[in-house]
Parts: sequence; structure tokens; C-alpha cells
Amino acid sequence: MNSRRWSLPLTAAVLVALSVLGRGPASADETCQSPFLPKVTGQEDYIYVWTLGVAGVADGNDSLVTIDARPGSSTYGQIINRTSVRGRHEAHHAGFTDDRRQLWAGGLDDSYIFVFDVASNPAKPRLLKTITSFVKDTGGLVGPHTFYALPGRMLISALSNATDGSGRTGLAEYSNDGKFIRTIWMPKEAPYGYDVRVNVNLNRMLTSSFAGKKNYMRPFGDLVKDPEAMKAFGDSVIVWDFHARKPLQILRVPGAPLELRWALQPNHYYAFTATALTHQLVLIYLKEDGTWATKNIADIGENIPVDISLAPDDSKVYVNSFMDGTLRVYDVSNPFEGKLIEQVKLGEMANMVSESWDGKRIYATNSLLSRWDKPGDYWLKAYAWEGGKLVPKFTTSFAAVGRAHIMNFGTAAPIVARGANQVAQRTRPR
Amino acid sequence: MTALAAGRPLADERVPIEETYIQGDFAPRFTPPAPGTYELPAIQRVGSFLVLEGSRTLRTQTLLAGKIGVVSFVYTACSETLGCPLASEAMRQIQSHVAHEGLRERVVLLSVSFDDVLDHASRLEAYAQRFGADRSLWHVVRAPSARSLQAMLASFGQDRTRLYDDHGRFTGRYRHTLKVFLVDQRGAVRNIYSTGFLVPRLVINDIKTVLNERGEEGR
Repeated sequence: MNSRRWSLPLTAAVLVALSVLGRGPASADETCQSPFLPKVTGQEDYIYVWTLGVAGVADGNDSLVTIDARPGSSTYGQIINRTSVRGRHEAHHAGFTDDRRQLWAGGLDDSYIFVFDVASNPAKPRLLKTITSFVKDTGGLVGPHTFYALPGRMLISALSNATDGSGRTGLAEYSNDGKFIRTIWMPKEAPYGYDVRVNVNLNRMLTSSFAGKKNYMRPFGDLVKDPEAMKAFGDSVIVWDFHARKPLQILRVPGAPLELRWALQPNHYYAFTATALTHQLVLIYLKEDGTWATKNIADIGENIPVDISLAPDDSKVYVNSFMDGTLRVYDVSNPFEGKLIEQVKLGEMANMVSESWDGKRIYATNSLLSRWDKPGDYWLKAYAWEGGKLVPKFTTSFAAVGRAHIMNFGTAAPIVARGANQVAQRTRPR
Repeated sequence: MTALAAGRPLADERVPIEETYIQGDFAPRFTPPAPGTYELPAIQRVGSFLVLEGSRTLRTQTLLAGKIGVVSFVYTACSETLGCPLASEAMRQIQSHVAHEGLRERVVLLSVSFDDVLDHASRLEAYAQRFGADRSLWHVVRAPSARSLQAMLASFGQDRTRLYDDHGRFTGRYRHTLKVFLVDQRGAVRNIYSTGFLVPRLVINDIKTVLNERGEEGR
């Protein structure tokens, strides 16, 4: 597949008009979030954890758990709310809508989507609706994974399909009020899916690749003993024309490239991913001829790296690895060479890692998939990045609620117009 | 449409923080894909509403009849560079493209004020003049009542929340997400542009894409 060249055709007037949006170096935020989300600067108040239900633990259901992240609060580091949904659905990933009023959360097993209101009472999200028709709506996509805000709608990457449970899959779009819009299947040459991320300045979208339902819902011990099944993992990152939703270039990245993170600084035309099976930290970069290429920039070791998080100044990548339960920090200030500068042992099955809005705090959880996890303790751990070291701040046990997976940061005070910090303000019903 | 999608206001919101966007530098560096090379499926349908342009009462369905509408919600006191001024500057450029590319008879621009306190006819008139609105192409209007405005905002999914200070006084400012809507000839929203993607050239290509759809030629 050929790539297309992009160029600089916009009129000066357009560039002037749009350049006012720039804020200089990004100060901080959830660096992995959609660029269509309003950014909130400052200390996060809450961490929403989409949590796998466990039989015999609480009501056994999947739940959205709220952790108090406010230093000085009497409940700092504690679970302050659990909003349960009926049943266990293989709770996995979740994401905000473009107005940050809803959090959409998916179940990889039955493909249910749970839409939570996180605006009315940010400490206590409320289940607004459950979309049970994802497979039917989309013409057979299974396993809604990444929930990515676009203006007025949600872009959802899936992992599998209803026909054969393989990794052939696609993307779906829904309006913010839950109406299905369209399905976009992955190209035949690269049928797998996992993450999806957009760079608006370049009009480019990246998708990565994992495995189908018959792999991810299979017990891990069985899976790794089955050579044929182990071949059924994705090996590609696709570069798309975002606006056209059309693939431009397929990059071969063997070993299941998972999370994608676009660089955030001006003129940084690159992204990172990590491969679960070949344990590489991978740079995806734009070449001068307008095509894209990849380079392995660090070998993480045979530990199944899972989630990664990029510092807001593009200087560091945080990598969690499942097998050895370690959080590693790589200096990527030269993006072509990742240097390991810090690592801490988190505990078994380390999984998701998220950096705070100001780059000062890092949170990690330790559940991957219900049939891949081992018996053990489940938790959320908070660290601070201080003096080039990861300094522990608190550990929240999930023993009473389930297994912690993805984190999204919330604020007690909803976002407002720029400049609102000039005066303390309050909104109230019209 | 859910209450949340409609942006219904929240109770007792304290808002001491600022809004910006995650990818801090928005400077589009791409050629928008050519018209007709991609699809714009319907995202949602919007209703028809009465609006006031000066002292004239108009119905949006009539204004937009058989045309592609570019609809923006703004308020004239908005001072955010990321907000209404950006939207209206983009509308000015879209108006210019529409006029120069022979699309005048097929496109209408609509800026709707959501400030039902301050934005009376004279303020909107001045606002339209400031941005060079060609009244045969670009209508700067307001809703006839708060109830009507609320219904319109809900239909489009445009959030708007009044901001109050610590003493409970209205500051004259609103929380809102910048959104510009591309509405087709049958009242279906075909694209929504927010701060990161409000590129006039791209909007024009989207207009042409919708106009060139099978069955639309010659309408």
C-alpha cells in the first residue's frame, strides 16, 4: 500500500487563525487522551478505575471505582465509590466523550458498552445507559477496546469479530447519545486491531494490533502452549488518513504492538508503541519523504510489556510489564534511542500506567484479562516523579472490589472556559 | 438525546481551572482529502427552530432548505481565543471560500447566539459586521426564547453552562465546547468540527463531498 505525501498548503490566514490555539509547551495532562478532549490542568481529584468483577468479591459485578487522589483529603488514596453494573463482561478500557461528561466503558467478552455520567456528581459516576447491540450495530465487530473522543461522537477500536473470533476486526463510531454511525473494517493485509490514536495537526490516525477473542478469552497457560494460537497475534501498525478514515500505509511491527502514544510537542512527528510478544519499545516516525517508518529503540526484556505512558514534554516513556511486574522509565528525549533511567518493582502482573496531568504523578494497576491474571493481590499504586526517581505515594487495595484495569482522571470541578481561573467561579442550573 | 449529550447544566459546579487542549500546538499541516474521496455518514438529525435575525423571525428549516448549512453556536462576549472568535473567524473564511467557489446558492452559514441575556439584535448586528457577514449567505441570529434556545442546543448536542462567581453572580460567561456543525439538505449532521479540526479548507471539501453525493447533483 502506498503512502501519500502531505504538504503545507494552508493559507497563511488559516495558520494565523489556528495558531492562536497553541499554548507553547504542553504543561501537563493525561497525555494519552484524545486531542479533542478539553484539557484540564492541575491536580486530578479522582481516578476512575474500570474494574473487573470477581466472583465472590462484593457483588461480583464489573464496576467503575472512584479513588480519591486529592492530597490532604481524609480519604486520600482510598476507594470512595463503586458504581456496579450488572454482570461480568471482561471490563477493560474506557474513555471520555469530547465534553468529558460521559465515560464509556467496554466489556471485551460480550461487547457491552456502559455509558457513565461523570459530570453530575464526579465522585459518584452514574450508569446512564448500556449499549448491548455493539456486535449487531457494527455488522460483527467484537470486543470494544479503545474509546476515543471525536467531536460529538466516539471512535471505538475493536479486537475481534463474531464470525470466527479471530483478530480480524475494525473501528466503529457512535454519536455521543449512543447511536451507531458506521463501521470501518481493517484492511485485509493487516486485519488486527487494538488501539487507535489521532494526530490532528497531521490528519493522521494510527491503529495497532493484538488478537481475537478466541485468544484473549482463553486461559493464558493454555494459550502459550498452543503454537498455532500464538501465531494469531497482530504484527502491524496502520497509518490512516484520519479525516477520510482510509489506510495509507501498513507498518510491520511484529509481536502485537499495543498502546499507541503520539508525541505532544510541536514539530514532533512521531509516536511510540510497545510490542507485547517481542518486547520492544518502538518509535513510529515520519520520514522526510512523507512516509512513515519504525525503529526499535529499547529491548524491554521478555516480560510482556503492556501499557505505556508518555511524559507531556516527550522526554520519557513509562512502560509496565506483565510478567515481571515492573515499571520502567525510558529517556526518549532522543526518540531514536530509548535509555532505561529508572525502574521499580510494582508487584505481580503490572499492567496499566497513567501519568498525571502535570507530569508529576504516575499511577499503575495490575489486571490484564480475567483468564490471563494469576491469583494474587490487585491494587492501584501511586508514585511521584521526584528527582529522577519514582517515589511511592500510596497503594489502594482492590481486594474488596475486583481487579483494577484502566484509569481515567476526573475532576470535582468541571472544565470551563480559558481564563476562568482568574476568578473563582461557580455554575448552577439555568 | 440524553440530558448529558444535550449539555444540561450541572448543580453547584465549582470551576477554578482552565480549559485548554491536550495537543497544545494546533497548526494543521496537511492537505485535506479531496472532495468525494471519502464518506461523511449522518451523525444525528437536528430539528427545525424559529430564530430571530434583527426583527425578522425565520425558521431554520426554511433557511437551510435544500442547502448545506454550516451552523455555529457563539456568544458575542466570548473572549476565548480558542472559542467563539475562532469559530467566527473560521466562518468568515468559509464564507469567502463559498463565495469564490461558486457555492453561494448551495450553502448557508448560521451563527446562533446562546447568550440569551446580552445578545440582543444590536449586538448581533455589530458582531456580524465585525466579521464581515454577507447577509445573503451568513445569518447571525438568536433564539426567540430561552426555551427555544434550550431545545436547539439539545437538538445539536451543544453544551452551554452559565458561569457564576463565588457570590452567585452571573459572570456573563459560559462554559461551552466549540462545535461547528455541517448539516445536509435533509437536516442530518454530517460532520462536527471542534477546536482541533476547524480548518476552513476541510469544511469546504466536506461541503463539496456532500453536494457531490449520488442523487444530490442538480438539486
